[in-house]
Amino acid sequence: MEYNVKVDAFEGPLDLLLHLINRLEIDIYDIPMAQITEQYLYYVHAMKELQLDTASEYLVMAATLLAIKSKMLLPKHEDDLLEEELEYSEEDPRDELVERLIEYRKYKSAAEELKAREQERGQVFTKPPSDLTEITESIPTEKMDLNVSIYDMLGAFHKLLRRKKLQKPMSTKITRQEIPIEKRMEEVLQELRAFKGKKRFYELFPYPEKEHIVVTFLAILELMKRNEIEVDQENNFEDIIIAAKGGVESSGTR
Amino acid sequence: MELVNWKGILESLLFAAGDEGLNLKQITAVMEIEEHEALEVIQTLKEDYDEGSRGISLTEMAGTFQLVTKKEHAPYLKKLVESPGMSTLSQAALETLAIVAYRQPITRAEVEEVRGVKTERPLQTLVSKGLIKEVGRAEGTGRAILYGTTREFLDYFGLKNIEELPPLPEKIDDEAMEEDADLFFEKFQETLDPHEEKPTD
Repeated sequence: MEYNVKVDAFEGPLDLLLHLINRLEIDIYDIPMAQITEQYLYYVHAMKELQLDTASEYLVMAATLLAIKSKMLLPKHEDDLLEEELEYSEEDPRDELVERLIEYRKYKSAAEELKAREQERGQVFTKPPSDLTEITESIPTEKMDLNVSIYDMLGAFHKLLRRKKLQKPMSTKITRQEIPIEKRMEEVLQELRAFKGKKRFYELFPYPEKEHIVVTFLAILELMKRNEIEVDQENNFEDIIIAAKGGVESSGTR
Repeated sequence: MELVNWKGILESLLFAAGDEGLNLKQITAVMEIEEHEALEVIQTLKEDYDEGSRGISLTEMAGTFQLVTKKEHAPYLKKLVESPGMSTLSQAALETLAIVAYRQPITRAEVEEVRGVKTERPLQTLVSKGLIKEVGRAEGTGRAILYGTTREFLDYFGLKNIEELPPLPEKIDDEAMEEDADLFFEKFQETLDPHEEKPTD
């Protein structure tokens, strides 16, 4: 039982059922179980034939469908029941499935909406904040412990990737050169020390090459882990500030 | 508002702020004006951009005001970039993200309940893209991670705030959803019954 091919055909059994319901023009509130079960099994079988990734969830759903189908076939002993009980016994075995399908369908359509917005958003571009360090007195030294988390770092990193994409000139030749993280860590520390011990996160990524950016990012994370740098966020532009811990190398006056 | 060029000041501030944008509080604090005055300046600057033959517009995203390039110039901007076309999210990631966005805070198990399939990988993708993050832990055994959306999520979809998400649809137009799947079904049919006629819709 090996299916390693992943074709994005369906997003799971609920998705497949929805397609079947639409295709067969079935009323979702009154699903003919025999028909849909037959069709469903037919497609699961086909997916196996095509060596698609038939996740176990598909088989669980198949069993569920068969169970509902057989429940529907059970005779109802209405005369044995009192009126009161009758009301409660009116439960349709399909109810739960229908509810799940409708719930899932809502989010599927919400996902479509998001997709449209993603497209739309991809049409407009922004620029990174201007570097105003020229006119700032100096970054205040009192610590504002704003708890920069790994999520903040990742957010900053992704923004950076987006920016670097745009800055890339059309005719760059990327020279593939493996940079060891250790070496980059050293460089980052040197850079920081040469720069009053502090730099903005974005300033540590001089080259718009993905490889270099990734290595730099990992180097920064590693330095954080080793407690060799401090990471802070100014409140104003929410820029992440990286500071070398061992203080500043006395590099004379500027 | 006669002597001071508020519009010009705001324009330079927004230019400098770039994609970090500025929220109303920052604008009023820096310009030392009242909120309603600031909103007025924002509005007039926005109209200036929209009416003129300018390449920039003023928009509100993720709780901040930002200057962005106009949509209609996208083809030219894309020529600047080496690999045009953003990498977009997969269907699985989009569905997962939709569920998290509307139902946050939510655990992986709860997402999987809705989707009916394992959702570990899409969740990881979304976390690594900074679109969702851990926002706490669920009560009870296992203390499952609770996920919620981030500011980056708002920015990624150009939303002002989370309230701007359209309400979940109650009535669904199935037609639109069908189109993409039809091709696949046809392929199936051909695979399974190569000698039969294709069913006509």
